Amino acid sequence: MILVRQMLVPVALAALIAAGCTKPPSEKIEAAEKAVKDAQQSGAGTYTAEEYAKLEGTLEALKKEVSEQDGKLALFRDYGKVEQLAATTAAEGARVKGEVDKKKEEAKAGALQAQQVAQEAVAATLKLVAKAPVGKDRAAVEAIKSDADALQAALSQIQTAIDKEDYLAAQTQARAINDKSRAVSDEIQSALAKTGKGKSSPSRKN
Amino acid sequence: MAGCVPAVPPELIVALDAIDHDLIALGAPQAAPEEYAYFARQWVSLRARVHADDDLIRWPWESNDIEEELRRLQREGGTTVVRLNERRSRQRSTAESTVTRLEQRFLAMASQVQSFDGRVALGEKPVQTDLLIKQARLFFEQKDYARSIQAAEQASHALRIQTTALTQELGRYADDRQLRQWQAMVKQTVDWSRTHQSTAIVVSKADRELTLYKNGRRVLSYPVRLGFNGIREKLFQGDGATPEGRYRVIDARGAGQTQFYRALVLDYPNTEDRRRFRMAKQSGKIALTKNIGGQIEIHGVESELMAQTLGCIMLDNRHMAELFARVSSGTPVTIVGALTGSNSIALALSQLADQKDKT
Repeated sequence: MILVRQMLVPVALAALIAAGCTKPPSEKIEAAEKAVKDAQQSGAGTYTAEEYAKLEGTLEALKKEVSEQDGKLALFRDYGKVEQLAATTAAEGARVKGEVDKKKEEAKAGALQAQQVAQEAVAATLKLVAKAPVGKDRAAVEAIKSDADALQAALSQIQTAIDKEDYLAAQTQARAINDKSRAVSDEIQSALAKTGKGKSSPSRKN
Repeated sequence: MAGCVPAVPPELIVALDAIDHDLIALGAPQAAPEEYAYFARQWVSLRARVHADDDLIRWPWESNDIEEELRRLQREGGTTVVRLNERRSRQRSTAESTVTRLEQRFLAMASQVQSFDGRVALGEKPVQTDLLIKQARLFFEQKDYARSIQAAEQASHALRIQTTALTQELGRYADDRQLRQWQAMVKQTVDWSRTHQSTAIVVSKADRELTLYKNGRRVLSYPVRLGFNGIREKLFQGDGATPEGRYRVIDARGAGQTQFYRALVLDYPNTEDRRRFRMAKQSGKIALTKNIGGQIEIHGVESELMAQTLGCIMLDNRHMAELFARVSSGTPVTIVGALTGSNSIALALSQLADQKDKT
């Protein structure tokens, strides 16, 4: 009996040591999860949807591997692949986040540029409206003024989209405003060309 | 070892890679993010397992879960590609027809509104609608069909609001009761001309026409221009609307007595105008600070720059000369919205309502 006990003690010790060495690499797993979350919060779902979906897939593979190893007897657990996947996920997460930041900056720059072009076009239109002849076809001139006011008001929508980081919508709105603004300017230029003059004296009429 | 088999057939991996590329080419990450995310998660997860398992020895009689899962994903992925292809094609077609229809409807509306100088009545609405339609077209060109349809729906809603606003503003041109009232006013004026063997003037705003009656008989008609917001009901000074009502010429101003070629000054505002103005103020329809205005005239053209009035009725100088020669102080002038139910504004409103129903 004593002999049996003496033989079991080293086996149990070895098992305990082995179990101690086969714990999941929690910190690395958490780092991988954080990297994916960071990428997602930076807007990866919008700016690099394809890469983000794959990043989530890597994280899922990691979780599955952890789950598989956890289901085994302690003696047979091996978290080596988990560590490998965790390292890949963390690195890939950081890369995707960097890519998102880059794309966001590009999109933002594009939106800001489009916004500036639209603002300049509207400013030019408003300047022309001030020159528009009040007498000639007054209904058309009043309508043009109303159009110019509407364009100026619409400029705020671009900023709202930029504030929401919806740079694609901001660019599209800016382009639409720019196009319309140019059309209105052309209309005024045409009216000015017909009259060959600027504003007439204000009427006394009611 | 000769009995060993590869963990996963390489062609299966190639096939799944091809499906992934197809999905990306279809814009699935943006157009169908949930479906693509499901596929990509599965695919990456399985591929990681394939890499992890490639050093394992597998016997032919051992089951191969990964291969089965990969084949299932291949089937699902293939189905997703087909479905997305169909959906994208449908979306494209819907976006294209919706945007094109909207553009046509907007142009038709603009043209109809322009025909009766109603653009001012709509204020900033047409530009807001136009911008939405332009955005819908731009999104379509960028192949972002979902956003294109979304912008088009917003534009369609804005167009409906525009039509409703116009109908509310100008519905009286199609209102039987109002039309009967205008017809009665005209009849009284013509009857007066007959009874008093005298001249009388009738102006129809919808027809942009001034008619001179003598002894109850129509003697001449001229086209006229109204205020820049002429078709609306005059509410206050500076609104650009031409008043409706029964007036009289109180002064006939010849050369040197007016800034225009010739002018017939009307007795606007009369008692009825003042009553309406008071009521509009009391009901909050107009601000308390507004004035009723005055100096409504039938006049000729001052210069090329003054080709439209702020609420008066303007004729070409040649026509004004003919009219001026036949009219004197005291001549009744009746200004009405329209003479019949088939006036241009009522017809335009009816067409707009039809278009609204169709879209």
